[in-house]
Amino acid sequence: MSEQATARRGKKSTMTHKMWRLGTVLALTAGSLIAVAGHGSALPLGAPKVGMVCTPGTVNGTAHTFNLETKTGYIETPDGNSVFMWSYDNPGVDNGHFQSPGPVLCATEGQTIEVNLTNHLAEPTSVVFPGQQDVTWTGGTAGLLTTEAAANGGTVTYRFTATNAGTYLYESGSDVAKQVEMGLYGALVIRPSLGANFAYGASTTQFDPSREYLALLADIDPFLHHAVEIGATYDFNSRDNRYFTINGRSFPDTIQDNGSGLLPNQPYGALVRIQPNSPSNPQPGLIRMVNAGVDNHPFHPHGNHTTQIAQDGRLMTAPGGAPAFTEHFGETIGAGQTEDFLLRWDDQDHWDPGTNPLPVPPPNYRDVTFKDSNTWYSGSPYLGYKGTLPAGTTTQNICGEWYFPWHSHALNEFTNFDEGFGGMGTLLRVDPPGGCFTAAASTAILSGVLKSGSASALAVDDTNYYQVNPRTTTRPTATTAGQTTITVASTAGFPTTPGYYIRIDNEVLQVTAGQGTTTWTVARGQLGTAAASHLSGATITGLANDWYGSFSGVRAGSTNLKVTYKGKNCQATSGTTCPTFTGAAAPQQTVKICNWTALGAANCATAASPGWVTLPTPGGGLGPAQPQTVGSTDVSSTWTLPGSASQYIGTGAYNGQVRVLIHTQRWTGPSPTPFSTWGNLLALVYDAP
Amino acid sequence: MNEGAAMERQKGLARRDFLKAAGLGAAGAVAVGAALRSGLVGSASAASTTALSLVATDGYMSLPGREGDPVYIFGFVRVDPTLTVDQLEAAYKGHTKHTAPHLNFRQDDDIKITLTNLGLVQRPDLTDSHTIHWHGFDVPSPLNDGVPEVSVAVPIGKQVTYFYRPHREGTYMYHCHFEDVEHVQMGMTGIVFVRPLQDMGTASLAKARQEGGADTAPLGYAYNDGNGSTAYDRHFAILLNEVWKHFHDGDRDIQESIATDYNPQWFTLNGRCYPQTLLPNDSPSLPEPMRIGTPNANYGNATDYSQPNSALIQVNPGDRVLLRLANLGYQQHSMQLPGISMKVIGQDASWLGKDGVDKTYLTNTLYVGPGEARDVLFTAPAYDASRPSGSDTMGAYNVYRFKNRDWRRLSNFGAPPGPGGMQTEVRVYSSALPAQSDVSQTYV
Repeated sequence: MSEQATARRGKKSTMTHKMWRLGTVLALTAGSLIAVAGHGSALPLGAPKVGMVCTPGTVNGTAHTFNLETKTGYIETPDGNSVFMWSYDNPGVDNGHFQSPGPVLCATEGQTIEVNLTNHLAEPTSVVFPGQQDVTWTGGTAGLLTTEAAANGGTVTYRFTATNAGTYLYESGSDVAKQVEMGLYGALVIRPSLGANFAYGASTTQFDPSREYLALLADIDPFLHHAVEIGATYDFNSRDNRYFTINGRSFPDTIQDNGSGLLPNQPYGALVRIQPNSPSNPQPGLIRMVNAGVDNHPFHPHGNHTTQIAQDGRLMTAPGGAPAFTEHFGETIGAGQTEDFLLRWDDQDHWDPGTNPLPVPPPNYRDVTFKDSNTWYSGSPYLGYKGTLPAGTTTQNICGEWYFPWHSHALNEFTNFDEGFGGMGTLLRVDPPGGCFTAAASTAILSGVLKSGSASALAVDDTNYYQVNPRTTTRPTATTAGQTTITVASTAGFPTTPGYYIRIDNEVLQVTAGQGTTTWTVARGQLGTAAASHLSGATITGLANDWYGSFSGVRAGSTNLKVTYKGKNCQATSGTTCPTFTGAAAPQQTVKICNWTALGAANCATAASPGWVTLPTPGGGLGPAQPQTVGSTDVSSTWTLPGSASQYIGTGAYNGQVRVLIHTQRWTGPSPTPFSTWGNLLALVYDAP
Repeated sequence: MNEGAAMERQKGLARRDFLKAAGLGAAGAVAVGAALRSGLVGSASAASTTALSLVATDGYMSLPGREGDPVYIFGFVRVDPTLTVDQLEAAYKGHTKHTAPHLNFRQDDDIKITLTNLGLVQRPDLTDSHTIHWHGFDVPSPLNDGVPEVSVAVPIGKQVTYFYRPHREGTYMYHCHFEDVEHVQMGMTGIVFVRPLQDMGTASLAKARQEGGADTAPLGYAYNDGNGSTAYDRHFAILLNEVWKHFHDGDRDIQESIATDYNPQWFTLNGRCYPQTLLPNDSPSLPEPMRIGTPNANYGNATDYSQPNSALIQVNPGDRVLLRLANLGYQQHSMQLPGISMKVIGQDASWLGKDGVDKTYLTNTLYVGPGEARDVLFTAPAYDASRPSGSDTMGAYNVYRFKNRDWRRLSNFGAPPGPGGMQTEVRVYSSALPAQSDVSQTYV
């Protein structure tokens, strides 16, 4: 060990692990994009926030070309250290921003791969491709294992045919004890010609392409790196690992997004996200594990077994061709090996707080602690549910998802030098089926009056309804068939923007001015009805019921909103039964969502406000066309708004709010009888950031 | 200590009982300690609820080479579930054991394990909580996974009940996950296994003896193999571990340790170094030389018998023997059994014969990484007086050594030169041993 190493050895250590970085770092995970202007990461455009990031390279016919260059730089460790590294980067992305590990090269079976290496190091370097055959080269000078690119700007090009699909390692073939330790490694992924949603050319290897994860393991002796940094003697035999990485980061940095601005030189995260297996989510995730380190690493996934399907780029197959997959809760991956795993999350017992609660209820909080008052636990053991946590406990949980650590079980590697719960670890995040779920937390009636029920009736599809009656008032005097101005006893509960319809006896009128006062200007005989005279004291009924449900706690950056409304209309404004509609057509229902950005916060204040967007959203939503005729039987509709939902999630005083308006109006006459709107379920499902 | 109290097992019971433990063999004095090690076995055919209680606390153990200098440990102890927290503290605080009891459950049963944290006598300043992590279990919620940062932990003086409904038979391990780098090395480790539903018998397979089956039936089956290929007559749970003195002495003396300096000095099976591994499962009925007593400095050097689990494998010729191996050290271990071929039939609670493809394999060397489990079957060879032999109270036997291949792990640090470390003996007897009734049973 060098003198520098001895000096470093006196570093303070602690029995308890430090979470100091955790809170800061995780608080930012919630944002979809860490706002670092311009220069921030080495990721190609369109890279996902979570999951394996492919470097696309350039495809020309059957040739697939990648450009790599070697550079030096620093990586950060969660205990506040930085380590000098060598690595490959992609000169075509972000001006060749330094990154560790090297870019993930993704290609397809059968292509001719060409790797152009430019070497900016002060010594020759090269790339070897373990597992690839018949690698040829152009340029460079002969080295021990392969042809090398000369120091200080030398180049060489390697070529090989990607004969076999699989997960592979590429690394330096020059002075390997130094160059590979210093960080010259990366992953090479060859997709089968069968398709990008298969790991190998076998149907048994099908996976969900949105759940593809790389775990590139490495070990680091920072004192060796420091020796290279200052030009001291490099003695590989003194190797003593202190940092252990997955995709170039140590836990908890491993759970940050790809391209996180906090880790500009370490672009790849290692968080694994999965949802329970179900008929609508039948495909497993794929974990591609590469050990670029010098040590074997025993990797332990909590929570569920993983199924190993391949090793070193070869599918595990029995003689005769049947798959010979094995299941693991601990698997030692050897130095230089690659292993592929399928990951399924199976909910076997369907524990549910209502229908099938756990036989042992959650513990009383007086009997437990939350470590460092900072937890990923939601407060409820059930998937998709949040519970309460003791005051003062910081929670990283968003919507009742589960977290399980995945880590090396050589527990001395599950550390950052001397701090536990660090190093070679990441988290598995199990999201609720279909995403996060929330029911309307509150309601507001924009036109109408509450008949019965509350927002809680909208949480579950059951026999509880949130019932809204039309607003009524009376005429204090008689009405002639021709007058266009009428006074009303009260305007309360009627819309405050003009253009709404009212009914007196069998006539529908439209209020065109005077709304909000007790003197209305009206157009007579609307919607096919005939203008008529009405007695003094006649009831005026609002023709439409407008109410909205408001969801709260939807994090900025959530995507893929799905709005579900289930409800019906009943031909009565009192009583507990729901009479069927007879005679004229049943009411027309239009469900709308509030777009907060249209004109500011007040733009969804009334039913006629411009912020309300009819679902499905124009230009790219999915769901039934509107308006829909909804009678006295529950009609359930779901609209999907793919992609970003930022305009529908409130900010500032309306932070985290989503509003959905139910507008129900009885169209045609004659004799449109008053009806009440009965809401059964108003729910939102979304992907949390 | 009242461990003997509620632990009486009746063999061949048809009725469903709540609490059972291993009983006494027909011949010889099976250590009562064996009764305490094993988990609880329901006898009825329908899924039943099994409950047991563990406490977590500190204590000391003895290793060859550290005579007069006990090694400070943390660990789990199985206790009477009717005791209150105060009673548990009075009886068990500071008297821990390593390794933790072998837990024996049945597939699809409901398991409730209550953990009480009694605190640390030697370190009243160290207010660590504890948890139970059933390693490898397919958990339906993080609440019962025992990882403090993603669920809850049990502080000193409190108790929490963990719930499991195991659907996968096989061999697993359990350990504390609170500051696991430290607590696992300090000794909070044990083996847990789940017996398959097939033990209840099928149309074509005999009901297992441990479920009340005939004397001619196998003791049990390792997996739901459908064809009896994983049947065994005796099974032994063996937990591999290392001991790094820096953590142990450091925790005792309030000295900090850098986990990445990890470099263990001793190598254990079930918490014992050879020749301790050959001593029987601990029992108060044993003579002193057959017990591992350790003076407890926090109790006026009164003797604690804190390493209860033997690693001795005593078998009859022709026995089908199942080794349930698990590694909770931080290093990979290469284990051998020279002279006897080993068949790996399961790993990580997964039968290697699943899905109609036979992935079981014969081997001479088992390479077991940290956090991994293996189910290994071998058939005890015939007794041959011309082979290396020995004799003990049960008579003459052939000796085979189940040992680490790495010779550096076959010595005891600080002890005089000689065999030590991670090895034990398989003794094949010339005259028949009684049938095994409980896992890792030893005969004296």
